[in-house]
Amino acid sequence: MSPWFDAFREAVMALAAEGYLPPSLAYGFAVNALLAGLIAGPVLGGLGTLVVVKRHAFFSEAVGHAALTGVAIGILLGEPYTGPYGSLFGYCLIFGIALNYLRNRTGLSADTLIGVFLSMSLALGASILLVLAGRINIHILENVLFGSILTVSGMDIAILAGVGLMVLALTVLFFNRFMVASFNPTLAAVRGVPVKALDYLFVMLVTVVTVASVKIIGAILVGALLVIPAAAARTVSGSLKGFFMFSVLFALTATIAGILIPMELDLPIPSGAAIILSAGIIFLGCAAIRAALPALKGDAA
Amino acid sequence: MNAVIPQPVPARTSIRSGPAVVFDGVSLVLGRTEVLCEVSLRAEPGKVHAVVGPNGGGKSSLIRCLLGQAPHAGSIAIDWPGEQGRIGYVPQALEFDRGLPMTVMDFLAALVADRPAFLAPRPSVKVTILAALAEVGMEDKAGRRMGALSGGERQRVMMAQGLMPAPDLLVLDEPMAALDEAGAKIFERLIGTLKARGTTILWVEHDLAVVRRLADRVTGLSRTLLFDGPPEAELTPERVLALFSHRAGGAA
Repeated sequence: MSPWFDAFREAVMALAAEGYLPPSLAYGFAVNALLAGLIAGPVLGGLGTLVVVKRHAFFSEAVGHAALTGVAIGILLGEPYTGPYGSLFGYCLIFGIALNYLRNRTGLSADTLIGVFLSMSLALGASILLVLAGRINIHILENVLFGSILTVSGMDIAILAGVGLMVLALTVLFFNRFMVASFNPTLAAVRGVPVKALDYLFVMLVTVVTVASVKIIGAILVGALLVIPAAAARTVSGSLKGFFMFSVLFALTATIAGILIPMELDLPIPSGAAIILSAGIIFLGCAAIRAALPALKGDAA
Repeated sequence: MNAVIPQPVPARTSIRSGPAVVFDGVSLVLGRTEVLCEVSLRAEPGKVHAVVGPNGGGKSSLIRCLLGQAPHAGSIAIDWPGEQGRIGYVPQALEFDRGLPMTVMDFLAALVADRPAFLAPRPSVKVTILAALAEVGMEDKAGRRMGALSGGERQRVMMAQGLMPAPDLLVLDEPMAALDEAGAKIFERLIGTLKARGTTILWVEHDLAVVRRLADRVTGLSRTLLFDGPPEAELTPERVLALFSHRAGGAA
């Protein structure tokens, strides 16, 4: 991974220095951020289509917010400020799995239960962060909340690449089964789909890819990149193919734009906010295109 | 029917009989409600067995028990003549977002193939799907969005998925609820084709006239077993009146 990554970075920096790529990419940290974006964007965009189909948008947001508490716990336990991955993955996975477990047993609707969990988790995170207030630099909190490209390290990229590849592979492998299980669980079961197990798998996929992307997008907004590109793609496509491809494309475009534009224009905007604003602009554009082109509204019954 | 399109059905040309399905003392309690109480019945191999009864009488629950989706007491055995065959299931409803950009082809490919449905299906899968759609008279609607279909068209699509792969036991849950006249004709013809091939069909239905016409045997179910026998003997006007007083006029 490392020699390949160094070669990529040097190639991009060289191209930027010669003027073929945006000049900000002449900096090593910028290339790190770009690479992280190139991995996170398509994975979040692809998985996002299933998040929209399965109506897990609120869940994705909640897992992102849980990352804040995960970071707080990590710092409390003495993990490094810049990458408390043990606590992040651990806490968020417990959060997601417990939520799914209770959803099947409390008889509460998903949004009610997520509301309960989200508030509890935020309260816990806020308490721990205030306990730690004297020990940490407030900028760390800002980075966790809104993302920062300045601190993307080789390890962050390695984790993101590993998680991204795994999530992408499982998403493609189980795509049909995830969909069918959401349409009619009994039919899915008759066709040999392990509906309950896949529910847990899906929650875990959303959780790990969310956590791995917190570094560049931030805890507050990471869930949005699972939802906005897919939502935008849904408005302008007529088949699953278009839905998936557009979602990946939109997520990738938003991520790259969100990382490069603030650097190029020298704007003091956190990367996460810029990425989500880019995605939001794409979404509004798609909504406008749909309104303007009656053909996209689909053939009426 | 278009002769150029290969049929999904002859894929298994040898006429082999479907299984018998034996329910023995099946009871189901959900919460504090007793949905089914000691239901015993036997669907004979290769026959069309209809289950009728009032709404809330436990017809769909009986199917859920058969398909292993409800924690029932008693036993349900599918008695395969040889090696275990294939079960097809046509559910009553689908839960999906009507605005979802998913064509009929996408939907069926997601059900029958492993290759992710956002990629074009393999040519052989596509041929199978188009043939199944032709069986239900929907071959020209493969590119339509699922959400844009009428209720009857969606039911035909659900029927098409039940034909892939060719089933030995087909479980139908009110497959005709939204069908128009043309759809009903196609459905009746399909039942005939499947029966000729030896498929066992277990069929929940509320339209007694159709049951009288197509079923070999009919079971009346309202929490407990009410009657079980050939339709012409069991579906007497008095019984129908007693069972379904609110719709006896249409059914008699």
